[in-house]
Amino acid sequence: MAVQGVEQTILRDPALFYWILFPISVVMILTGILRHYATVLMNTPPKSPSTLAESRERHALLRGVNLRNHAAAVLDQESFEARRNYMVAGFRSGAFLKDPNNRGQPPANPMTDPQGMEAMMGMLKGNMMMMIPQTLIMSWINAFFSGFVILKLPFPLTIRFKSMLQSGVMTRDLDVKWVSSLSWYFLNLMGLQSVFGFILGSDNAASQMAQQMGMANPAAMMNPMQPGQDPDKLFTSEAENLEVMEHFCILDGVEERVLRNFAQIN
Amino acid sequence: MGAPVDVREINGSDLISALHLAQQAPAILGPNPTKATTSTTGTAEEYSQLEQLFLACLRTGDDQSAQACLDRLSHRFGPANERVMGLCGLYQEATAKDRAALEKCLEEYEKILSESPVNVPIMKRRVALLRSLDRPTDAIAALIQLLDALPTDAEAWCELADLYQSQGLGSQAIFSLEEALLIAPNAWNIHARLGELLYVSSSAPDSDASRLGSKSVQHFCRSIELCDDYLRGFYGLILATSRMLENGHADERPSDPTVAPKKTLDQLKGFGLQRLREIVESRSVDDQHWASSRSELIAAKELLNRFTSS
Repeated sequence: MAVQGVEQTILRDPALFYWILFPISVVMILTGILRHYATVLMNTPPKSPSTLAESRERHALLRGVNLRNHAAAVLDQESFEARRNYMVAGFRSGAFLKDPNNRGQPPANPMTDPQGMEAMMGMLKGNMMMMIPQTLIMSWINAFFSGFVILKLPFPLTIRFKSMLQSGVMTRDLDVKWVSSLSWYFLNLMGLQSVFGFILGSDNAASQMAQQMGMANPAAMMNPMQPGQDPDKLFTSEAENLEVMEHFCILDGVEERVLRNFAQIN
Repeated sequence: MGAPVDVREINGSDLISALHLAQQAPAILGPNPTKATTSTTGTAEEYSQLEQLFLACLRTGDDQSAQACLDRLSHRFGPANERVMGLCGLYQEATAKDRAALEKCLEEYEKILSESPVNVPIMKRRVALLRSLDRPTDAIAALIQLLDALPTDAEAWCELADLYQSQGLGSQAIFSLEEALLIAPNAWNIHARLGELLYVSSSAPDSDASRLGSKSVQHFCRSIELCDDYLRGFYGLILATSRMLENGHADERPSDPTVAPKKTLDQLKGFGLQRLREIVESRSVDDQHWASSRSELIAAKELLNRFTSS
């Protein structure tokens, strides 16, 4: 262990700063920006439904959820019961399904279903965007800069941080203040989010543009169902949720409430 | 429609603010309005403002500026964009000279819909066009088809309620508005509108007047609870409570918990009159600001006069 009370001093070549610390940071920032624009470029907007039945399948679930969440604010007992019976019967009989005849069959293999394939490709693209540059940069750092101690933190840290700050430098006695090149890479990878936010004008600039391209009815674009999920199963569970629901109505006694809350103030 | 840019622009049915906006068209469109800008940049807000301007220009008869807006929008988003297609159709409808031209628009919509059945803006335009061609039953059928596919569209449910009401189908209209409220449960204007529909239905001879009437009072109360200076809410509350009191529904079934007791109705009516008077006074002073709802204000004054004189 390091001798207590004695400051460890390591003589660092200033060139370490110019040729390692600085390049790694710059490269990380540049790849981040590049990745951002590549994602924007390759991002495909979610596909809107192509038939009326498909659109109904997507929205029926939302309608059930709306009924469950908002019934208390609007409906009295009678109309709530009527709607609940209708929705439950529809969910149970599969009336809202895109293809009621296909009910009960196992969901189509996402590999053969063209729509599922598209969604999978989208995910794959996103993952690739993250994976490829990271692998490249990490191997670049490993090949050229491994084993360098490039930075001294101005504050003390506990021994736990050793694995975080000194990966690639197998020195047991080195004070935790010293940061290795590989760790600097990791720190950059995790900690540059706010820098990107600053440079690219808040991260959701990309998603906002995508929405703008849609510019259609936003509700029509929404798809509550993930690819590969069986809508029939979702519908049955929603039907159960509706069945066990206990109805109350906030309109009961609203007259007294209004009088109490508003009339006496004046 | 798009995100509101300015409070004055939200109120789409308000002619005065539409006129104000349309008068700003040269400033917004720039010195060379006919030339579509080559740049495709701009925030979502700018484009929704452009859309609002387009609508305002059409309403005020400034077709040239509207054309310029439309050119810019279709330049940015492409003529195949669904919303741009909808706006394009709107432009053609607005500039149509006679009924034959409107029929031609309708044919065009049907052609588009046979190619892509879920083109929501075009579907809505078709409904509106059928309605303006005096074919309400067809409009209702088309709207039901739309709502079957898109049951979470509050705007369409409201339109359906309006169509049903225009055909005298009160209970269907009430159902549609309830659906709209399930999507937007805190919309006080829809609550008040539902109260109005219930109030109208309760005057039908073969209806359960006391139940409908008390429900109407409840919805007006809820509307007031959500927005405590909503003129229409108070106006309706006064009308609904006084009818309940006149017909003596409160005394009929004192045990019925859904019908409020006579004393509560009396208090509600008094409270409504007092607040309405305050609202009318404050808005009459600040006349310019409330210019768009002047007709409502006049109606409220008339109601107050009726109650003070009687």
